[in-house]
Amino acid sequence: MFLRKVYLLLFPLLFFFDIQAQNYVTESFKDTRVINTHSVETLPARKLDVRISHRFGDLAGDRGGWQNFYGLETASDVLIGADYGVTDRFTIGLNRTKGVGVMSRLVNTSAKLRLTRQTRGENPFSITVVGEMSISTLPRSTDPNSILFFEAFSHRFIYSGQLLVATVIGEKFTLQVSPGFVHRNIVGALDVNGFANLGIQAKYQFNKGFALIFDTTILFTDTRTNDTGYYMPLGVGFEFDTGGHVFQINLTNANGLATPDYIPNTTTSWGDGEFRMGFTISRLFNL
Amino acid sequence: MKLIIGTIFSFFIFTISWLTPGETVSKVKPSDKVSEVLFKLGDKQPNHFLRFPSNKDIELGRRLFHDGFALGRNGKKAKRVSKHFVCTSCHNAEKEQKDLSQNDAQKRLDYAVKHDIPFLQGSSMYGAINRVSFYNGDYFKKYGELVYPARDNLREAIQLCAIECAQGRRLKKWEINAILAYLWSIGLKIEDLNLDKKELTDLGIALLDSNKSADAIALIKSRYMDHYPATFTKPPEDRKAGYPEVGKPDNGQRIYEQSCLHCHEEGQYSFFKLDHSENSFEFLYKHIDTYHRYSVYQVARYGTQPVPGKKSYMPQYTQEKMSDQQMEDLRAYLKQKSAYFKK
Repeated sequence: MFLRKVYLLLFPLLFFFDIQAQNYVTESFKDTRVINTHSVETLPARKLDVRISHRFGDLAGDRGGWQNFYGLETASDVLIGADYGVTDRFTIGLNRTKGVGVMSRLVNTSAKLRLTRQTRGENPFSITVVGEMSISTLPRSTDPNSILFFEAFSHRFIYSGQLLVATVIGEKFTLQVSPGFVHRNIVGALDVNGFANLGIQAKYQFNKGFALIFDTTILFTDTRTNDTGYYMPLGVGFEFDTGGHVFQINLTNANGLATPDYIPNTTTSWGDGEFRMGFTISRLFNL
Repeated sequence: MKLIIGTIFSFFIFTISWLTPGETVSKVKPSDKVSEVLFKLGDKQPNHFLRFPSNKDIELGRRLFHDGFALGRNGKKAKRVSKHFVCTSCHNAEKEQKDLSQNDAQKRLDYAVKHDIPFLQGSSMYGAINRVSFYNGDYFKKYGELVYPARDNLREAIQLCAIECAQGRRLKKWEINAILAYLWSIGLKIEDLNLDKKELTDLGIALLDSNKSADAIALIKSRYMDHYPATFTKPPEDRKAGYPEVGKPDNGQRIYEQSCLHCHEEGQYSFFKLDHSENSFEFLYKHIDTYHRYSVYQVARYGTQPVPGKKSYMPQYTQEKMSDQQMEDLRAYLKQKSAYFKK
């Protein structure tokens, strides 16, 4: 409901920017995700983007190393799903992740609306809003004190909303900031339901097919600090575009994949060697 | 009084009629359709002849041709013909050369630039109904026996184009008729034939004198090509050295913009995006002498193949549609732009 109001509010902006947008800056990012976070890019109309993402286990640290072949023998999270371009500006998505928080086994949905695109000499920013909703499909706990008791069906829901603002600087460098808010309908007694966060993403495009990407999210809540065992998700990776396929390989301490899941639930630290290898394969189809 | 005026007026008309030439001439207007003039002259109607294409069918055909789908007769949106292409991905619907009796790649490019239309692999469908043969020459090498029924039958040619070239579905009968109706609406006109005043007069005379019909038909048909030859050609033997022709970057820029970007610009048909950025030029020039699909020589001369899971592909340019000189022009432009960004 909240997101719907936001969209309705932002629609006039969409039409305002439509008038002036002519000489677009294309491909701020090659993919609709920068490691974990959504990028400003939406899919072209009638394109289906089939996505498979994987995050392995810890590369080093207590649970990594030789004993699990540097994380390759375990999977911290797996995503399989698809996004679809309803129009050039509006993309919807549905995927399934294993999940890493207390509420796991997630079915994730997303809706993404591009408000404006960067144009040369006129509009310096591309702006997109994205809303995501995750539903835990875990069986209900019999313990009434557990948050998995799911007294109401709505307790299974987690939400995330982000405003994505990106700019291409020069020919090769893209910077994106993504202020957002995560809301969980039910949390533990000492936790908070909702908190703000700020993502920073970047890409340096070395050549047509190869780029270095970066993604981090800063959390604004006292319940999510290093002292309480939570860490800022931070990842670096490489992106390969072969024309139709985009392949990302990365190292990140985030063990989850869905935004409403990995932002509040990153409990592993780069400093302790608890980072992992991950990859995403994205394949576009005409529908 | 009225009788006197009437008599003078009749006499005046009678006198004028005596002063005009003895031969009566039927006037041929520039906007007249070539096909209609030919039929009046006694030329045989082709098997794709449509007697009375309705405006509704023409509009349906126009939408199928340009958008890839149309509202069916039941008012519901019919299924898209192809998920990957529309007719205008590879064919213009406008005239492509001033002199339609020639098939010159450079004149075609000049015309495309002047009239801001794409420079494409396929022949323009403007005047397609005036042609007698389709999928000519080396298209047999690509489509094999499928070209046989399509060669002398425009309906079958449209069907082959939908299924194989566009990697789409079989067209329904009403869809083919609608496309055909649209093609009849963009048939050649007398003004496209560049006839001089005397030739136009001769045509008019021939319409009334059956003895002169054969010459008139021959005159009309000499002014446009009734089929387009297609010659598949190879990349240069030595891709590093290229073709022997010396490239002109200015002309190459026109090819890049009117041809490459038609499909590869964002929002167009290809997944492989190109633009005017350093990355695009550097990539294309770096791979030009290689032996895979990133080489401009490779894809322009051999195209790419549709494969299961990725049916959108690139059709090749025949020798007639892009000359070796133009390939070198394109290479020179890519080299120039690549060097410019490296400075």
